[in-house]
Amino acid sequence: MTHTTTIDPFTLEIVKDSLLATGDEMFDALARTSMSPIIYEVLDYASGLTDAEGNLLTQGNGVTGFIGMLTFMVKETLAKYPGDKLKEGDIIIINDPYQGGGSHLSDVGLVMPIFVDGELIAFSANKAHWTEVGGKDPGSFTNDSVDIFQEGLQFSCLKLYDEGKVNDVLVEMIRSNVRFPELSLGDMWAQVAALKTGGRRLNELCKKHSTKTILAAIEYLLDHGEALSRKELKKLPKGVFYAEDFIDTDGIGNGPFPIKVKVTITDDEFICDFRGSSPQVPGPMNCSKTGLISAVRVIFLAITNPEQDVNDGVFRPLKILTDPKSIMSAERPVPVSNYFETLLGSLDLVWKAMAPHVPERLNAGHFLSVCAVTLSGTHHDTDESFLIVEPSVGGWGASNRKDGASGQFCMSDGETYNVPVEVAETRYGVMLDEYSLREDGNGTGAGEFVGGKGVTRSYRAMTDGQAVTVTYGRNKFMPWGISGGHDGSPNEFFVDKTDGTTDGPYGVYARYPLNKGDVVRLVTGTGGGYGNPLKREAQQVVRDVKNGYFTVEEARTVFGVEVDMDTFEYRELESRTH
Amino acid sequence: MRVATDIGGTFTDLVYVDQYGEIGVAKSSTTPPNFEKGVLDVIKKSGIDQSQLSMFIHGTTVIINALTERKGAKTALITTKGFRDVLEIARGNRPDLFNVNYEKPTPFVERYLRQEVNERLSYKGEVLTPLEIEDVKACVEFFKKEQVEAIAVSYLHAYANPAHEKQTAELIQQLWPEVKVTISSDIVQEWREYERTNTTVLNAYVQPVAQSYINRLETELKAQSNVEQLYIMQSNGGTTTFDSAKETPISMVESGPVAGIFGAAVLGEMIGEKNIIAFDIGGTTAKCSLIENGEVKVSTDYYIEKDSRHAGYPIKTPVVDIVEIGNGGGSIAWIDPAGSLKVGPQSAGAFPGPIAYGQGGTEPTTTDANLLTGRLSSKNFDYEVDLEAVKSAIQSKIGSRFDMTAEEAALGIIRIANSNMLNALKLISIRKGHNPKDFTLLAFGGGGSMHAPALALELGVKKVVVPIASPVFSAWGMLLTDLRHDYIKTYIKRMNELTLDEINEAWTTIETQALHHFEEEGMTAEQVEYHRFADMRYLGQEHTVKVPVENEAWTEASKQKAIEDFHNLHEKNYTFKLEDAQTEIVNLHLTAFGKVEKPEIKKQIKAGTLESAFKEKREVYFENEGWLTTNVYDREKLPTNEVVQGPAIIEEKAAVTVIYKQQLLHADEYGNLIIVKEEN
Repeated sequence: MTHTTTIDPFTLEIVKDSLLATGDEMFDALARTSMSPIIYEVLDYASGLTDAEGNLLTQGNGVTGFIGMLTFMVKETLAKYPGDKLKEGDIIIINDPYQGGGSHLSDVGLVMPIFVDGELIAFSANKAHWTEVGGKDPGSFTNDSVDIFQEGLQFSCLKLYDEGKVNDVLVEMIRSNVRFPELSLGDMWAQVAALKTGGRRLNELCKKHSTKTILAAIEYLLDHGEALSRKELKKLPKGVFYAEDFIDTDGIGNGPFPIKVKVTITDDEFICDFRGSSPQVPGPMNCSKTGLISAVRVIFLAITNPEQDVNDGVFRPLKILTDPKSIMSAERPVPVSNYFETLLGSLDLVWKAMAPHVPERLNAGHFLSVCAVTLSGTHHDTDESFLIVEPSVGGWGASNRKDGASGQFCMSDGETYNVPVEVAETRYGVMLDEYSLREDGNGTGAGEFVGGKGVTRSYRAMTDGQAVTVTYGRNKFMPWGISGGHDGSPNEFFVDKTDGTTDGPYGVYARYPLNKGDVVRLVTGTGGGYGNPLKREAQQVVRDVKNGYFTVEEARTVFGVEVDMDTFEYRELESRTH
Repeated sequence: MRVATDIGGTFTDLVYVDQYGEIGVAKSSTTPPNFEKGVLDVIKKSGIDQSQLSMFIHGTTVIINALTERKGAKTALITTKGFRDVLEIARGNRPDLFNVNYEKPTPFVERYLRQEVNERLSYKGEVLTPLEIEDVKACVEFFKKEQVEAIAVSYLHAYANPAHEKQTAELIQQLWPEVKVTISSDIVQEWREYERTNTTVLNAYVQPVAQSYINRLETELKAQSNVEQLYIMQSNGGTTTFDSAKETPISMVESGPVAGIFGAAVLGEMIGEKNIIAFDIGGTTAKCSLIENGEVKVSTDYYIEKDSRHAGYPIKTPVVDIVEIGNGGGSIAWIDPAGSLKVGPQSAGAFPGPIAYGQGGTEPTTTDANLLTGRLSSKNFDYEVDLEAVKSAIQSKIGSRFDMTAEEAALGIIRIANSNMLNALKLISIRKGHNPKDFTLLAFGGGGSMHAPALALELGVKKVVVPIASPVFSAWGMLLTDLRHDYIKTYIKRMNELTLDEINEAWTTIETQALHHFEEEGMTAEQVEYHRFADMRYLGQEHTVKVPVENEAWTEASKQKAIEDFHNLHEKNYTFKLEDAQTEIVNLHLTAFGKVEKPEIKKQIKAGTLESAFKEKREVYFENEGWLTTNVYDREKLPTNEVVQGPAIIEEKAAVTVIYKQQLLHADEYGNLIIVKEEN
């Protein structure tokens, strides 16, 4: 690490901390002011600061999946508005999936240049999942669109504010083209307020420490991130690693689609080559290149150093290769609404390729799907329309030293919160029959360390004419076990009707109709196990049975332990000694 | 005579005030696991006449210890059919975003002890399925067999209708009188089943421990004195009786620390400062809390074991809003893998402690840095200080990494520690929409006075106050507390639909409940004072703003004022308001005080000159200034209202105040140190 600056290292450190604190502050400001549960409960947004060239300095994340996006939004802005075309007081709006920083239309980005004494020194940027951006379905993101035009409004890097003056025409366009304008615009103003907070803080910092010091601290921050990252890279096994898997479906009846990766690790590079994966597909499971970059960054952090502060310096050793127009590098105008399923699939490929080689950092496969649920209808008491948009929790894989976590959101989510039953029943026209851990009874996720459990969440419709759209990936290919650990179970859903019949299981389904009394039973997968189940400590198997995580039958046949259900005395079977 | 005792990690503090307003203090070692022994020791050590003891107020770490050390009772849970895993699924969040090996908090009740019964309420509290008595009986049988010691009961929507929970508790008591039962509606009346259930479970978990501790303490105290009034400090900044504390011990989880915050508010009132940032630096952490217009902020957003990497466990009882960071006197300075200097959160603790203690500590700490820069004097340590050892450790572990002297490195440690603390102070002030210029920084605890003047310059507060008894200020605060109970009830109503009759009825119901509670504690209606708040939000929004509302019967005007105040508070907190949006109430919050007669704190005018308080001249290393010859004074002898020009150091037993070149300090009539920035 080299510094050509004369500013003392402690001042740099203090300024660096102030920049990180500013990132946190911008992040909190958005959550507190948002009017949409998808933002304040699910924290489906990110915010941060970049330098004047768009290099990420700090990013507050509620979910991991946005980690590659802010940078490229800013770079797109710089490309479209070069030189003095970008003015103080401008705010740019961007959600175009095929441009830099784009994921799907629901994720709307805002970018604000920060000027100090007339000089562009940084950007504040954020990206948030709007509950509504128009398009063919309520909630906008959909699992059976056939082109981008069905998915909602497209903002291709437009000026929402021009030198501090809001573009009223654009605001009115949004108001008249989305289903819940007060939510979408409320979120937009919240995003604007958060950006301005970042701008204000950076100006204060420059005033206090001088702009020169701030710019030096920015350089220091990026170098610091890179140094930490390279240090970790040196510890990784060198070589070439492969993995292959499938994306279940494109949502409109096609698939499964093969995907593959070749990971090459050298002393100073980490190269992920996805060439040879499926071309882009007719349905909305296509992932933008930006989405893929996020995927790789997430798992790169998990492999190298999950604890570090994140900035673009950290990612300097990364390289990503794809074919053009592949399922993970989609081009206009293919649909991308459910891009996150392919983002996760790509992330999981690198995970799967590396898991056997970095067991201290990577565990067995998890339920690998956002497991998105959209449920719409009217409330039984207020008669008002409601819309649930939520991800689901599921099971995580075991590691070489402990069991997997049960009932957690998937890797592309993060500081995401489920909606409490009591809140859901108050606000929406549903009741919940059950929110519990999954009990498969067939040894899924078994191992010396067992996979975490998926969950069952059952919504009972309280009015006629409701519709549920479910997008559960990993329905056809199971979460993978390691070293003799069993695979996990699929994500799936069933509909229990008032006439006593049950329909299902399904993975991806658009607008399944529900009438009063019908129950949609959403069941997520259990994670993969680690190691031979016969090696699991016998007393632990007894505890598992007592706790209902495994049955007596599973204890006997899978774990080789005979358990007495009344006394909980046990006997180790011969299968364990072989 | 009133006596307050506060159990800390290392010491048990005592402060008393007698009928003449004279204050005395004592300190003695904390004595785990029999904490009551330390309390009796410190009473003995203080030399007070126990026959004069009329009121005893106590802050204790027994509850938080039982939780963090997992030394509570074997606890079971009874809950609504279909929902026994709520406690294990929790909220599904993963704060440690990029860590695929994230470890989720383990529930305090294992799965086989979480049992379900048939019963169901709607969100409005209507009974959809009546409670199945046989199911409860079966649970009790099973729990007996499993030798459970405490039972928690938490049903869906019990905040809207507690009938099923009450019925269940009565039945359990009939079937099994020996077991302790906690029902959720007695502890939390807010929605969100995971948070409420977890709080209920934790209360059940600590109840047997709390009960036995309080009983032992009471027996011992009464054996030696005629004390009648026995109070325990709660997390909400008020006290409660020993008897109440045994029922809801979870409301004492922050028993000790909040007393200092509350004391700051009381002291502020004494000296005419209503807006205060209370700042407490101990050995391991620094804590701060903002007091606006005399009001200590209380919320139910409290967690244990939560940080940026762990989800922790929510406890939804009212706790004073405190931000705590891992930076105290014992915090260790270290270099991260990429070569940056960091301070904390790792602490050298009381043992081995900083290198300066000479007890085997090898890692440089904030205390060592303060010593090397002359802020602390080796003469004032209880230990023989090897200054060369301190210097060489700071030189080799920090200085040499940056090509600088040990002193420069030490100053770097102080600056990084200050930066960490400054971020915490900003978090509760600027970032919540407050202007520091309107606030007084009140600093206490072992390290508060040492760092506060430097932080004040950075933060831009109007003045700094180092209060009397600052090293034992939490116990001092307890002397002046009232009984306090907070009642927070989820009450979802849109303001445009809310009728005056229903809101007035709701308030009356809560106030009747409060009064009843106080009467049980031996108070009369005249002694009880109510403050009403409504947690309000824009329709569709999640986060609420706490709005102080009309304390008398509501009229249309009081309703409109609540809405207007909400808009303004929302704008203050979140930078915008939505005048056209609908507003709604989520919770009603009643704070009820049982006013206790308080001793008058005596003014203590000290005559004399600065010369008589002068101790020595010392070289002290300051940011931007280098070494400055600095006057050192003895706080005990500092004459009232005589101005000390910075830079200067004021020493007292167990604390030091460091003021900077631009600052002026004087002792006020109570003996508080007041520090202001010199006008240019």
